[in-house]
Amino acid sequence: MIGFENVSKYYPTRNGRSYVFREINAEIPTDKSIGILGPNGAGKSTLIRMIGGADMPSAGRIYSDVNISWPLGLQGGVQGNMSGRENARFVARIHGYRDTREIEERVADFAEIGKYFDEPMKNYSSGMRSRVTFGITMAFDFNFDVLLIDELTAVGDAAFKKKSEQVLKQKYASSTLIMVNHSVDQLRQFCDAGLVVYDKNIRYFDDISDAVNEYKRLYGV
Amino acid sequence: MIRTRNSWQIMADTIFALIMRELRSRYGNGRLGYFWALAVPAAQAAVMVLIFSSIGRKSLTGVPVALFMLVSLLPFKMFFKTLTQVSGAIDANAGLLSYRQVVALDPVIARVLLEFFHFILVAFILFSGLGWLGVDVLPDRFLELLLACILLALLANGCGLVVCSVALYWDSVNKVISVLMTPMMLFSGVFFAASMIPEQYWHLIAWNPVFHALELMRDAWFRSYATPAGSWEYLIMAVVLSNSLGLMLYWRNRERFILS
Repeated sequence: MIGFENVSKYYPTRNGRSYVFREINAEIPTDKSIGILGPNGAGKSTLIRMIGGADMPSAGRIYSDVNISWPLGLQGGVQGNMSGRENARFVARIHGYRDTREIEERVADFAEIGKYFDEPMKNYSSGMRSRVTFGITMAFDFNFDVLLIDELTAVGDAAFKKKSEQVLKQKYASSTLIMVNHSVDQLRQFCDAGLVVYDKNIRYFDDISDAVNEYKRLYGV
Repeated sequence: MIRTRNSWQIMADTIFALIMRELRSRYGNGRLGYFWALAVPAAQAAVMVLIFSSIGRKSLTGVPVALFMLVSLLPFKMFFKTLTQVSGAIDANAGLLSYRQVVALDPVIARVLLEFFHFILVAFILFSGLGWLGVDVLPDRFLELLLACILLALLANGCGLVVCSVALYWDSVNKVISVLMTPMMLFSGVFFAASMIPEQYWHLIAWNPVFHALELMRDAWFRSYATPAGSWEYLIMAVVLSNSLGLMLYWRNRERFILS
């Protein structure tokens, strides 16, 4: 379960506070995989970042009794001037691992980017980037209850897509997903429940089809 | 399997990870970085020795010129280096803040520790070298000296936190700091001790806590020197004030650090 208590998020702009979310009060279950639906700029990524602790609400609090991953996505989570290996090592260290070599090797195996693994990540293509980011989560035995995924599988070639989907299904059979994706098909494939971002608030649907229908109705797509 | 850790252990692990990462990005590409860290202060001290010996002085306050200069130059450099490093710390690690273990304060602490250890190492090597050349380099009261160094590092931490927050609103603050560094060398009494200038001019430099730190260090190091102006109370007060202000501004702006 993830609970929202009076959660607001705003950004200071030239015209005063611009609210992304206003006073969300909700509890969403975490025993089902949830797809987040909403148009660009509605706050899907902000929501997933706040759930993952990468960003904080301007007011209110988010609480939870489960173990949640950091938001896996293309932005953030890696430092561009560090190599893929150094990023993997860093993540291992902040999670309390003393010996990081084994994990580095596992990430390298998963990413399959050869010598680029030791190059700064700012020189990576977006496909290589997602291979490493994805590899970093998959290499650990974190046993997250909930995995946050922000458009991660959107890039990469067909082989990598297939591979990552497989790993997702296998390795995280025990954990559920909360994911943002612009492809409704993919959301249907991975998720059972849906969350629609609308009017600076969120609405939870037990069935992803209901969520998709509501999303189409609200936004007229 | 991962150990269950309390928040202090998580913070310690995170700071360790950040220090290792910084070490690698700074000195990973060859050892020339360390060479310059040693060569620059040594050269500066040598220039001062040349200047003073050209006007016929071999010692200041009964201390060989080279030793006198290094004792004030190295801590002064540590202070300003820490300040500039800390003010860029959050920006340089922004990508890593998306892990919930890493908070914006961690890179700051990591860099303060790193600069402090760096300073201790450089000081140890240079003073050993000076000792090898036949100068009596052993400090008189070592613990007092260490305390003054730690207070100076903490002062840099506090000032650095303030600069971090100011930089959120005003990018150019770092340039202002580097402009200030040269006159601050004068106002911190790097090239002279308080006893070398007339008492009526002390007020020009006595406002500066860095000056107090340097005076206290000289007092602790040289048996022949007793500072007439350096004050522990003033230095400690400056440390407490700067850190309180810095932490306050940090807490007030903690959301913005993530955005930038």
